[in-house]
Amino acid sequence: MPREIALADALVPSILLVYLGCLLVLWVIDTIVGRYGLYRYVWHPSLFRVALFFCLFGAAGLLLYP
Amino acid sequence: MSAVSPDLPSKRSWPWLGEFLTGERQAWIFVFKCLLAFYITAWLAMVFQLEQPSTAMITVSIVMHPHSGMVLAKSFYRAIGTVAGSLCGLLLMAAFPQQRELFLLSLSLWVGLCAGGAVLYRNFMSYGFVLAGYTAAIVALPAINNPNTVFNSAVMRVSEVMLGIIVAGLVSDMVLPERLREVLRRSSREHFGHFIEFARGSLGGHIPRSEMEQAHLRFVRAAVQLEDLRSTVIFEDPEARARSSRLQLLNLRYMAAATSFQSLHHLINRLQRNNHPRTAGALIKLYAPVGEALSPASSESAQPRLLATRLEASETRLPALAAELRDELRQDPELLLEFDSGATLLRRFVNELRDFTALEATLRETQGRLQGTVERVDFKRANDYASPLIAVVRTFLTMLTLSVFWLATAWPFGPNALLLATIFSGLLATSPAPLSATANTWIGFALGMAAAYVVTFWLLPGSDGFIMLILATTPLLLIGPYLTARNATLPGVGAGYTLGFVYIFALKNPMEYNPERFINDGIASLFGLMMSGVAFMVIPTLIGTRWLRRRQLQQLRRQVTFAATAPMEGLLYRFESANRDLFQQVVSFTQPRSEESKELLAWALAVHDCGRAVLELRQDMLHADLPPSVLETMHKAVLALAQLYDEPNAERWQQADRAVDHAITLTTQTLPQARASCQPALAHLLQLRTALRDDESALAPYIVKSPESSHAP
Repeated sequence: MPREIALADALVPSILLVYLGCLLVLWVIDTIVGRYGLYRYVWHPSLFRVALFFCLFGAAGLLLYP
Repeated sequence: MSAVSPDLPSKRSWPWLGEFLTGERQAWIFVFKCLLAFYITAWLAMVFQLEQPSTAMITVSIVMHPHSGMVLAKSFYRAIGTVAGSLCGLLLMAAFPQQRELFLLSLSLWVGLCAGGAVLYRNFMSYGFVLAGYTAAIVALPAINNPNTVFNSAVMRVSEVMLGIIVAGLVSDMVLPERLREVLRRSSREHFGHFIEFARGSLGGHIPRSEMEQAHLRFVRAAVQLEDLRSTVIFEDPEARARSSRLQLLNLRYMAAATSFQSLHHLINRLQRNNHPRTAGALIKLYAPVGEALSPASSESAQPRLLATRLEASETRLPALAAELRDELRQDPELLLEFDSGATLLRRFVNELRDFTALEATLRETQGRLQGTVERVDFKRANDYASPLIAVVRTFLTMLTLSVFWLATAWPFGPNALLLATIFSGLLATSPAPLSATANTWIGFALGMAAAYVVTFWLLPGSDGFIMLILATTPLLLIGPYLTARNATLPGVGAGYTLGFVYIFALKNPMEYNPERFINDGIASLFGLMMSGVAFMVIPTLIGTRWLRRRQLQQLRRQVTFAATAPMEGLLYRFESANRDLFQQVVSFTQPRSEESKELLAWALAVHDCGRAVLELRQDMLHADLPPSVLETMHKAVLALAQLYDEPNAERWQQADRAVDHAITLTTQTLPQARASCQPALAHLLQLRTALRDDESALAPYIVKSPESSHAP
């Protein structure tokens, strides 16, 4: 995975795209979890959400840039 | 929410103390969250080696707000605003790298448009517009002498602003959050309880008009508030998002039931006033089973599921009871018609009330996902374009004046003045009293800068490291968030103080100590703030003025025209929601119990009543296989009513009255041949006629007592 990607001739760090992708994944997970009301089993939903995002982003980052 | 007072015994002896402590606790929580956000932002900005950590901190101070429940929603719109603003700044720079006049002209236009957007869209969306203007200014202005660096500067500024937005959002969402979902649940239950209570309490049938008006005011507030909460809660709570369409449907049913209820009571009141107590009495008797259904044994009261089943049971009893009561009346056919129209209205109300309670019961009993889908409905906002337009013009002129001043004097700190004017013309444009708000903010800003001077030149030089930075800045910085949390006592001062402090403090790594720049910048920003205040003097705000209220009242009246002419698809919800939104906007700036507010309420009730009846009539006209001649007269009646409400006068009233009367006569004549199709339409026509001839309604000044209508009730 290259470190930077040229978007319309502007060099964009590709980790930024990974970040946006992770936000999208988080949003999907969030919707599914919310639809089935599973947040009731979580103590602090927003903390859980942020932690989940860190897991996703961290995992993606570490996998793509070993 | 911190409903529990931390000090119970003292609450008993001094009730104000408990209240004070509760408020104090909330204020200090907010102060803590603000400071946390400030320092995390500053630290991260320095770790990431961003050029100006101060930009990120300024963003935090713009964005942090004591009512933090809607953080995610706000962050979403703010991110969009920031990206749009920076793109615009880049484009402007690319388009006019050499022509400073054109550049400043188009920048002024952009900032003006953003201020207009901030006025047009209420709630959290308006912040997005403020940030769009602000980002465009901070991206483009510093690069104005050196256009080649604009791209790098834009990337830096966007990173800083985004960092501020994200940190502020995360801190307010995760540290001791205030959940709006609970507020939504609580207020939704409260409104349901109130409405049921009111419907039950009016068993006697007669409610004085003033009380009805107050109730109407409450119902309208409830509907608008529920919609506001719903549209924010869906951003913070995915569970609520899954239930969102049902909540909207619930609100629709609530509004529909409230309108029908009011129409019914107006009808009964009119009958009583016009010496037809027997008809009114019969209707009240007909209402009795509904009242009974709403008051179950006290132990199990107000369980929506129970109420729904009881209502359903009472609904089946209604037709038989209606026939019985009708037999008892047995007199003037005119009165029988009135009774029939009342009975139809009552059935409609019970039907809607049952739907409403059933949905409320479903929402309470199930958690998480609900099976199946429901009809999608949207709450329509009623916007007036005059005040956003004024805001656009005002901000544009402010920016233009400042730009010309800058160009003419070659003032090195012109951009700073421009930047401050940008921020505040967006933030203050929505305020109903912008002059005093600007004055307060100005004082706060000056105080904040004085505090920042003390910190920068006396405390900071001796300190070393991030911990020492925190220790040196905290005592004077926390005054700002505290004043913001206590906004009721000193409105605007807190926001000004925080912004002034953070702005002039201009945190950097390594820190620059330059008193000359400090003072020049301070003068420039105070000047910019003052200019936006002067602009409010020159072009005063429209919000809350009599002129705007007149305009909105007219718009409210035209809702009937809208109901009479717009396509039928989804019209009911659009009508009911726009009506309430508009009414809420006008009423929030009128003095309660003043002459004007009375007039407004009277009009709102008339519009509700008549508009809904027109809608129902149009519905009947669609379905029924009416004879064409009857259909024609009904069309004419609807159009005449639309014209009357468009611009009421005596002549139009006469026309409308004649048209409705004519339609009634014709429908009554064809009634024996086509009972199924004519009966409901006739009921609504009669309702329209009583509404027209109501001498207590807002139409009263236009009523002409002509000999041909004297036989009518």
